[in-house]
Amino acid sequence: MKLSVEQVGKRFGDRRILQDVNLTVRENEFVCILGHSGCGKSTLLNMVAGYLFPDEGQIRVDGVPIEGPSKARGMVFQDHALFPWCTVIENISFGPEVQGMPKKKAREAAQSFLSLVGLESYANHYPAELSGGMKQRVGIARALASSPDILLMDEPFGALDILTRDMMQRELRRIYEKLRPTILFVTHSISEAVYLADRVVVMKHGEIADIFEIGIAHPRTYESPGFGEAMARIERVLMKDEEEALA
Amino acid sequence: MSDLQPETLNNPPAAGLSAVTAASETPLAAASKSKNGKKTRPTRSARWNLIPYVLFFVVWEIFSQLNGSLKLFNPLFLPAPSLLLSDGWALAKTGIIVDSLVASSIRIAFGFAIGTFAAILLAVLMSKFQQLERWVSPILSLVSPIPALALLPLFIIWFGIGEFPKVLLIAWTTFVPVLVNTLEGFKSVPSTLIRSALSLGASQRQVFTRVMIPSAVPNLLIGAQISLGLSFSALIVAEMMGADSGLGYIIVDARNYFKISNMFVAIILIGIEYSLFHGLLKLLERRVLAWRRGGMREAVEKG
Repeated sequence: MKLSVEQVGKRFGDRRILQDVNLTVRENEFVCILGHSGCGKSTLLNMVAGYLFPDEGQIRVDGVPIEGPSKARGMVFQDHALFPWCTVIENISFGPEVQGMPKKKAREAAQSFLSLVGLESYANHYPAELSGGMKQRVGIARALASSPDILLMDEPFGALDILTRDMMQRELRRIYEKLRPTILFVTHSISEAVYLADRVVVMKHGEIADIFEIGIAHPRTYESPGFGEAMARIERVLMKDEEEALA
Repeated sequence: MSDLQPETLNNPPAAGLSAVTAASETPLAAASKSKNGKKTRPTRSARWNLIPYVLFFVVWEIFSQLNGSLKLFNPLFLPAPSLLLSDGWALAKTGIIVDSLVASSIRIAFGFAIGTFAAILLAVLMSKFQQLERWVSPILSLVSPIPALALLPLFIIWFGIGEFPKVLLIAWTTFVPVLVNTLEGFKSVPSTLIRSALSLGASQRQVFTRVMIPSAVPNLLIGAQISLGLSFSALIVAEMMGADSGLGYIIVDARNYFKISNMFVAIILIGIEYSLFHGLLKLLERRVLAWRRGGMREAVEKG
């Protein structure tokens, strides 16, 4: 699997959202897109998912242009977007079921993903009965259950409190190391990006400002050598214009 | 997996979960527990709920008895509940009450079912085909404000005084609120739900059957509840104009023979029958919307 974004541009009316974006995501890579709100990072992700289409350029998966949403590209939403009328297990088996897997087998598959995120005892609860962190675990399990080629995550931990967020980052890293999916992860938190990603793509005003390879060995912590430096370097890029504007 | 332990243990919402479930169970205890076959004592609130009914009839009885001796107004105008009970019993022995209840129930059930079904069908078609909506909505906004009762004489001229115009009238009164609310439900499906279904590999049809429809069910039920009230008034008026059975017919018949107590009997029966249908709808709602939580009851816990 190779995702390539080629000279992509997007406008909403007169507003230019994205301009000349070039990016390649390789198999098994964990890439974070980092930027301020309104920098176009979610728009880019929505185009990769197939919800929106580029005005200029192309987005291809293995050379094939994206023509719409597909089970090959799983999405985890910030608001988790679980089906409120389905129990946890029904939510996770939704993907396999609509793809034609027999119900019983789909449930079994769902059960294994439920164990992966550690919520076996909540199989028959409704989403409304879960905490924010648990809902997002179910969201991740649901996206993984369709065995996508690439997992797209749109600020999935943005609405969580800071402790739960740390926990979920560790969880995601653990799941990543176990299953080795390809992940494209959108965030506005520098520490989150540095903690999770192999590569951090910094976006500003609809363009890619810089790309950082994070070579720090896992498991990372704030104390890992190079962690602070990486954060500082990224912050400099993100804040440059803002400081000039203030000066 | 060791990472998991802290959250499941420390996360306050997770810990609070069992408390919430327990709290929400108490008000429903009578209904939900008895369904499981477990016998529970009637809760304090359930017993308390009977008192207003009892008090209402007791005050009425006392007032009517007083009026009988004081003659504030003609005692015939407001018969006492005890008299209604004996007159009602006499009426029941002629078989007319059972016949009327059955006739009215059948009309409501058919009219309501046909109206709801047609409304859902049209709502589905309208949300699937934009063109249809563009043509139907203006006409709907033209026709829907007309009180259904205004149509009854026309229906009678067109279709005679048989069952058909009555059922049609009830179906029509049911149709509009269910249609409007169901459409609203389809329109307010959160877009992320549709997006996530598509990304999980659902086809357009599966998105419709597995996301749009369940998502619109709460609105549909709201429409159904509004409709039920309206369709009862349609039922009674239809039975008052050209019928030989039904609760509305008893009222007209009682007026013609100045049997005020029979009128009251029919009025009370209408109330009871409405409560019965309303209860059935609520029961359905509780089953279908088991996933729904929240509201004031869970916003603030009462001591």
